[in-house]
Amino acid sequence: MNSPSLLSSLNPSTEPDALDSIERAEIDASTRIPVLLFFASAIFWLLVGSSLGLVSAWKMTNPALLDSFSWLTFGRLRPAHLNAVIYGWATPAAIGVGLWLTARLCRIPLLHSKLLISAAIIWNLGILLGICGILIGDGRSIEWLEFPAYSTPILFIAYAFIGIWTIIMFRFRKPGHIYVSQWYLFAAFLWFPWLYATANILLVWQPVQGPAQGAINWWYAHNVLGLWFTPIGLAAAYYFIPKVIGRPIHSYYLSILGFWSLALFYSWNGMHHLIGGPFPAWMVSASVVASMMMFIPVITTAINHHMTMRGHFESLQWSPTLRFIVFGAVSYTVVSLQGSSMAIPALNTITHFTDYTIGHAHLGLYAFFTMILFGSMYYIVPRLVGWEWPSATLIRWHFWLSAVGILLMVGALTLGGLLQGLALYDVASTFRSSLEFANPFRVLRGISGFILLAGQLVFAFLFVQMLLKLGAPKKGPALFTKPAEQTNDTVAI
Amino acid sequence: MSSPNTPQEEPFNESQPENEVNIVNIHASILREREEPRDGYEPIPLWLITVFFAVIFWAGIYLAYYSGGFSKEVYNPDLVSWQGGGSAVAAGPPDPKVIGKRLYTQNCLVCHQSSGQGVAGQFPTLVDSEWVVGGDWVGDNHLVKVLLHGLGGPIQVKGATYNNAMPPWSQLKDEQIAAILTYIRSEWGNNALPITPEYVKTIRDQSQDRSDPWTQKDLKAIPSETIPAGGAAPAPAETAPSAPAEQPAA
Amino acid sequence: MNKLPLIFVGIFLTFTSAWIGLVAYPTLNLGEMQPLPDEETGGVLPPTTSGLAVAGQKVYASSGCVYCHSQQVRWSPLSTDIAKGLGPRQTVARDYLREKVAFLGTMRTGPDLSNIGARQPDTNWHHQHLFEPRTVTDWSIMPSYRYLYKTQKIEGQPSSDAVQGLRGPHAPKLGYEVVPSEEAKALVAYLLSLKKNYKLPESPEPSEP
Repeated sequence: MNSPSLLSSLNPSTEPDALDSIERAEIDASTRIPVLLFFASAIFWLLVGSSLGLVSAWKMTNPALLDSFSWLTFGRLRPAHLNAVIYGWATPAAIGVGLWLTARLCRIPLLHSKLLISAAIIWNLGILLGICGILIGDGRSIEWLEFPAYSTPILFIAYAFIGIWTIIMFRFRKPGHIYVSQWYLFAAFLWFPWLYATANILLVWQPVQGPAQGAINWWYAHNVLGLWFTPIGLAAAYYFIPKVIGRPIHSYYLSILGFWSLALFYSWNGMHHLIGGPFPAWMVSASVVASMMMFIPVITTAINHHMTMRGHFESLQWSPTLRFIVFGAVSYTVVSLQGSSMAIPALNTITHFTDYTIGHAHLGLYAFFTMILFGSMYYIVPRLVGWEWPSATLIRWHFWLSAVGILLMVGALTLGGLLQGLALYDVASTFRSSLEFANPFRVLRGISGFILLAGQLVFAFLFVQMLLKLGAPKKGPALFTKPAEQTNDTVAI
Repeated sequence: MSSPNTPQEEPFNESQPENEVNIVNIHASILREREEPRDGYEPIPLWLITVFFAVIFWAGIYLAYYSGGFSKEVYNPDLVSWQGGGSAVAAGPPDPKVIGKRLYTQNCLVCHQSSGQGVAGQFPTLVDSEWVVGGDWVGDNHLVKVLLHGLGGPIQVKGATYNNAMPPWSQLKDEQIAAILTYIRSEWGNNALPITPEYVKTIRDQSQDRSDPWTQKDLKAIPSETIPAGGAAPAPAETAPSAPAEQPAA
Repeated sequence: MNKLPLIFVGIFLTFTSAWIGLVAYPTLNLGEMQPLPDEETGGVLPPTTSGLAVAGQKVYASSGCVYCHSQQVRWSPLSTDIAKGLGPRQTVARDYLREKVAFLGTMRTGPDLSNIGARQPDTNWHHQHLFEPRTVTDWSIMPSYRYLYKTQKIEGQPSSDAVQGLRGPHAPKLGYEVVPSEEAKALVAYLLSLKKNYKLPESPEPSEP
């Protein structure tokens, strides 16, 4: 059915050869417009979202900043920042990476690209409407679901297109082994619409009574991270690490264990945002347990990635894709173990309600997921536009600005959050001291925001150059350094 | 496995015209790619499997202690955990009186106070009350019924009149109701026979049609009965739960 | 794992397990929760709120107060919330029956507001604080909500609802006054209604503080 390439069907060999390459070329070409559309809009919203975040960060240390306008008040900028980044940047970028990976791994050219192009356009309309809605005061103050009720159905329709497309792609995939990345992609593409629809029906369209809302809210918010971003991020890591270094994934069995334990335990994690909160004790305890159980998938995946990389760490010196991806994969391990520890009630009672949690969120969304997305884009975009990244130096700048920026941000928020939390916990301490402890770290966080935004501007600049094919044509890939002599013939990025 | 894999074709894109759409040309980068990812088949390390089971074991223990008996009424797992038992020291089977006290603290103390004395004029005393230990027209069956469905309107306790409402506690399990009742019947100088979970079940089955809280008038219409000594359930409850109404009043 | 239907069933079941526990269960139980009769006053618990306070919830939501202020008191001895005076007892599900959106919050950049209506029952204090937080607490980092207020010329008698005691650069000049908009009034009515200090059977006050 739908035979994409007669040539490629003649050769079932797993060895790379020209036929496989031609098949891949056809597939990549078919994904070009929808994937680039998602990427371009995502990068736009990344810049918008980061700017919104930067202003809100500076408002925390300078409350009089821009305080005369209702639409620039902290309570609107912050949700606008979160939603722009979650739904404007991370989700479309994840969809773009996911589409490309799905097409490649299902080994068929992308079907029904019009469906995806409409989805991209509708999605961005929904985001625009939603962000403006929050700024003019229609935000709902339900965390991660702030978009007003008039924008969420638009987003859902757009997403439904993508869900349908996924099922079609998997239905018509080329038979054969289903690679681990595909499990994650398939699951993520189906989990997300379910999550989004449930949460919107129960919290936005036909809201349930107040007492039930917190549980559903955090079930949703945590699962967007756990069952949507994380699987896409892991799918990308599972694809690009072996792809770039050219050796198989360490263990199929570890992949299986990691996938199913993630599916089972992550979905139960949400209530750890409500430890001590107004919910029956068993719900919270179940989430505490599930959060601790996350140790299993995280350590399993970490072993699997590490053992695959073993002996190939020198590749990080030359491959931009691998450097970003490995940075993200290591951050995934760190952020997940930190998340598990934060579910321990004795620690949670200190860190809950403080900047520590904000640091954790950025570690997850930026150091892990965003870095993986950047790495994936460095690999995918040249294959879609037929142009090489114009400057390895700028990529290096992007990497170091991102890495330093996010580590500074997370470090500052973590330390400041701990001090703030101890002050809030200590019965003898005043509320004022919690602010005074946190304040210098909030200034540092504001500075780190500039660094991150600078890195993103470099990336956006590179991306625009790619789209317009600016600069002199390059023959080889943009690499940080020349690979070691003996691997010269296998430079593959 | 660790050595670099098979070499690739060299890019061959030099001579093509720049603006001609040629898939091979545009996708030169693809031709230098390595093979698509494959799976290796190393076994799962034994220590990881051990850790996995250790974590599962820990999870079970944790849930037992901090699940509040999976009740939707328990918000603070430190007050009531699994079957009301479970504390920092968890040796041996939990003492029923300790369970009863915990449940009482959790559910009843707000009104009836830790002394059991209630609040004069508002919440009736439980100490030596005929409603608790039996006496006058009140039997053990009435006591259980009050717990299950609540009580409203004017009532007489030890000669004093109270006009207030007690909420139903039917959401508690038979074991929990029995523990509370056993506790209040043996505390503060009270000395009546324990109430067994089986007896609570019997009464619950009997009066399952009741939806409103009881009134003193309704209760008086039901003949009183006393739980048999020895803690065993009344005989009919074991064999024919549908017929306990015929259990003779003591 | 080469059978797609099998993977599908797996991802469906794992997801459903948590969906039942964390979504269906609270929807069916907490979502159907009813108020309790209040034995002391003959009213209900939690007490009903005024229409103005309900309108205030919307202002609370659209201003994003929840991003800095929580509305929950955690249990002891896990937390010191009760010892620090956030409320007399743990807040439980029933406390949020009157809320269109339960603003539980995840941050305490500002203080918890579960019982702000009991802690600060003064209407003018709230207006002063919202108009210029540093008028009442000079180290506060709360933004000003001046845009909810109108500065106008006093004509004849000063308005009865004019905000008193304002200082600082945005204080009204002589002959002018600051009056709250309908939104500001609603917001303050909502804040004053926040009193989760009544007794609920499922949340006993800790006996030994």
